[in-house]
Amino acid sequence: MFRINLIKIVFSFSLSLLASLSFAEGEVKVIDQNGQPIVHALVQVGKQKPIPVDAEGAISLADLVGQESILIFAHGYETRTLSPEDCEGLDQIVLRTKESALEEVVVSATRTDRSVEDLPMPVTVLGKEKIQQTGGIRLSEVLREQTGLQISSDHGAGLQMQGLDSDYILILLDGEPLIGRTAGTFDLDRMSVSNIERIEILRGPSSAIYGSEAMAGVINIITKTGVQPKTVNLGLRHRSFNSWNPFVELGVRNDSWQVDGLYDYFLTDGFDLTPDVVGQTQNPYQSQTAQLKVRGKLSQKLELSLFGRAYLEKADGEMETNAGSLDASRISIANALQDFNFNPSLRFKPNEKWLVSLRGMSSWYSTESDMRFASSGEDFDQQDFDQFYHRTELQTDFKADEENLLTLGLGQITETVEATRYDGKNRFDAAYAFLQHQWNPGEKINVVSGLRADLHSEYGSRLSPKVSAQYKFSPNFSTQVSIGSGFKAPDFRQLLLNFNNAASGYYVFGALLAEESLAQLQSQGLISQVLIQPETFGDLDAETSWAINGGFRWNPDPRFRVQVNAYRNQIENLIETAPIARLNSGQNVFSYFNVRSVVTQGAEIDLGYTFREYLRFSLGYAFLDTRDLDVLDQIDAGEVFKRNAQNITELVARSDYGGLFNRSRHSGNVKMNYRENLTGIDFALRGIYRGRFGFADLNGNLILDDPSEYAPGWMSVNLTASKQLSNGIQLEIGGTNLLNTATPNQPNNPGRVLFAGIQLPLFNE
Amino acid sequence: MKTTIKTLLALTLGMALFSCDESTDPQPVLPLEATLVEDLAAPNDVIDRQTGTILEERPFVYFSLEQNAQVSESEDWDLAFKGTTIRVNAAKNVSAALVTGIFDQINEVPTSASFATDTDSELAIPTGGGNGWYNYNPAANTITPIPGRVILVKSSAGNYSKMEILSYYKGNPPMAEVDPFTTPSAHYTFRYVIQPNGTQIF
Repeated sequence: MFRINLIKIVFSFSLSLLASLSFAEGEVKVIDQNGQPIVHALVQVGKQKPIPVDAEGAISLADLVGQESILIFAHGYETRTLSPEDCEGLDQIVLRTKESALEEVVVSATRTDRSVEDLPMPVTVLGKEKIQQTGGIRLSEVLREQTGLQISSDHGAGLQMQGLDSDYILILLDGEPLIGRTAGTFDLDRMSVSNIERIEILRGPSSAIYGSEAMAGVINIITKTGVQPKTVNLGLRHRSFNSWNPFVELGVRNDSWQVDGLYDYFLTDGFDLTPDVVGQTQNPYQSQTAQLKVRGKLSQKLELSLFGRAYLEKADGEMETNAGSLDASRISIANALQDFNFNPSLRFKPNEKWLVSLRGMSSWYSTESDMRFASSGEDFDQQDFDQFYHRTELQTDFKADEENLLTLGLGQITETVEATRYDGKNRFDAAYAFLQHQWNPGEKINVVSGLRADLHSEYGSRLSPKVSAQYKFSPNFSTQVSIGSGFKAPDFRQLLLNFNNAASGYYVFGALLAEESLAQLQSQGLISQVLIQPETFGDLDAETSWAINGGFRWNPDPRFRVQVNAYRNQIENLIETAPIARLNSGQNVFSYFNVRSVVTQGAEIDLGYTFREYLRFSLGYAFLDTRDLDVLDQIDAGEVFKRNAQNITELVARSDYGGLFNRSRHSGNVKMNYRENLTGIDFALRGIYRGRFGFADLNGNLILDDPSEYAPGWMSVNLTASKQLSNGIQLEIGGTNLLNTATPNQPNNPGRVLFAGIQLPLFNE
Repeated sequence: MKTTIKTLLALTLGMALFSCDESTDPQPVLPLEATLVEDLAAPNDVIDRQTGTILEERPFVYFSLEQNAQVSESEDWDLAFKGTTIRVNAAKNVSAALVTGIFDQINEVPTSASFATDTDSELAIPTGGGNGWYNYNPAANTITPIPGRVILVKSSAGNYSKMEILSYYKGNPPMAEVDPFTTPSAHYTFRYVIQPNGTQIF
């Protein structure tokens, strides 16, 4: 802080030295990039009252006389700061249209291009600049700094949004879904940040256009597209734990064709939070991403695009079985993961009214895990998992008139899976149709309504409606409300798992296998008692939700923005395991059932204030309240007990209940961006706070109800300094968790991480 | 005023004496005290984690509630412990029922309690997390006695007892201090009350 202040003092001092000349007589005009006057522009000299320009966008130069810097701003335009020297001899000042306003076209919310200002649902857009400021190399490092998002560590870096886990968040890459989840978690560390142009964060259920998984929200990752005829960018980023990330971006384009490529390599030694236990917290791994995008105009009306991506990951580690006992033995682990995508699409736009898109999307995802005894090399455990997902979709957009835009989508999904823990090769088929109506009856109001029908070979059908509306009280204040339903289809594990834990002797069967497998165990004479009648097996329904989101966007002044969204998700039919039979050994046989109902509700607030074009502040706060309704019922019925530290039993009261585990009731962030004008260095200082959260049951009743079951809140202080040289070279240096706060219950926090990076535009013309 | 109290007192005494006379089997009612058993060690078999086969079989540990002592298999034992498994002595018609409530507040055997004894196919106190006396927390890898779970046992001598398992870990530590990898397990701490007069009142 001290250093920044010093720089500011030096800066203002040098300004006053330069301001020795006064202006020539006459006028200066404030215009946009097209030369049109901006009649609502305001000009502020030093700390004086801002002066409006006249009807021609002009202001008298005499008004600008002074020794201080001059601020020129207008709603919808980038604010400019000029020194008195800059103004000398000027007869016009060009304000650029605000880039955010230009860039913030959101695709994922309606599957059509739509300005973020006009969206009736809560959406956040992270541009290149914001992504770069985090210094993140993997996607989790960018998303963890956003209001209301948390990264949890469960079979990978999983996102949590509106209090719901990764299972209920759809991840899209350029609008197409990404597959490959372990225990429901999509590992965000699989996504490299180097090639991301922007990220759209859509909150609230969107099953009305996306179907399964879009229950808490949608993350759409949009990859970069070169704008120059030829682009070659080299980059190298280094960070603590011997992590290296070299990458190269290539781009070629002419009037009708455009090719973009990326190769990204990542290597890390991982880290270990528990050095006294064999095996690291994060194992060393290396990953490679190769991506190629080709887009071309086949004719004036027809556009072809091909997208291919390959991701390869290898990790090594070790662990110890029977730790601490005499028969402890070391196991070496070798894990590999492959993920391939190929998405061809055609876009036909015969005229202004019609747009027809035909999209194909295929994805191959596989993992292998090889565990061996380190001493003998004998097998300990081998696991394979192969998944294939294909989707064909036809989308038609019809712009009936200025007020009505209709979208009809038809699609088909084929999915197969083959895995060590599943029998044979399994295939699912699904078909769907969705209809969306975007209605803009006037300047002030707009409504987006949608309905989607999903038909699935295994769990039946599902209808997902959603209605969202926005009302603009003024250009500076608008409110949004949306009501929608979301769902998540049962996954392969829940339908197909065939698992026998030999060590403790229990079985887990997917819903489709339960009846047959139980009969088999019975015929072997292993079952002592059937707990749930087999007729009820196999009818696993989708998990479903209803949600309401409501909030407002307010810009009381061009430099001050406020965005608020409150929500409530009511989720039914959550799938959990339950015992279906008891074995002679006393152990259980489990299968999956729709059993639980939970509620998540909260509010998210973002405030931003631009003091000067070089100094910005923002503040984010998220409140989250979660509860399992069945647990509440049990508490009300007086059926839940706990033990205190003296192991004495007490009744649990409603006020003791802390909701779902791993949810922070309070979280937030404070961010400051400062551009030091003399050196051109951009500083981004962030404090990311995560309030206390329940990490595990300790008093034996499996619910969160005791103060000892909470992990304390903590703050991660992150700083990035970056500078772009005149030849385009970009340098960055910084660190995350600078205070080196340890959080034992968050295995994804390695402690302090320092980083440095460089990007070289070798060719950019 | 004083006389009224005296009269009442006399009346009450008289009623008490009268009722005593009515009783055919007069017995002094002693408050029943809970017995605490600490760190009863009952290690489980050694199991090969990969195949599930038993490498070394260990004996059950037999316990008599009547004697408050560890006994041999040939004696009148009530409960037998090994790992998380608890058996009842079916040969001596020992039976058990699981009820939910606060130990101190269970003053009699509830009518809803259904007593059962061990059979070849099923145990009176079922094993498996959530079924019998314990919860298994897969996230923390710990065994915790289900809070509020009280085991009622009809002993080999036919007396009713109520029992609460307090800990599966050596030294009865608070669960927050249990490290599943280092804290010795299969050490039962439990308390019980046995009604020697054969009634169902505790």
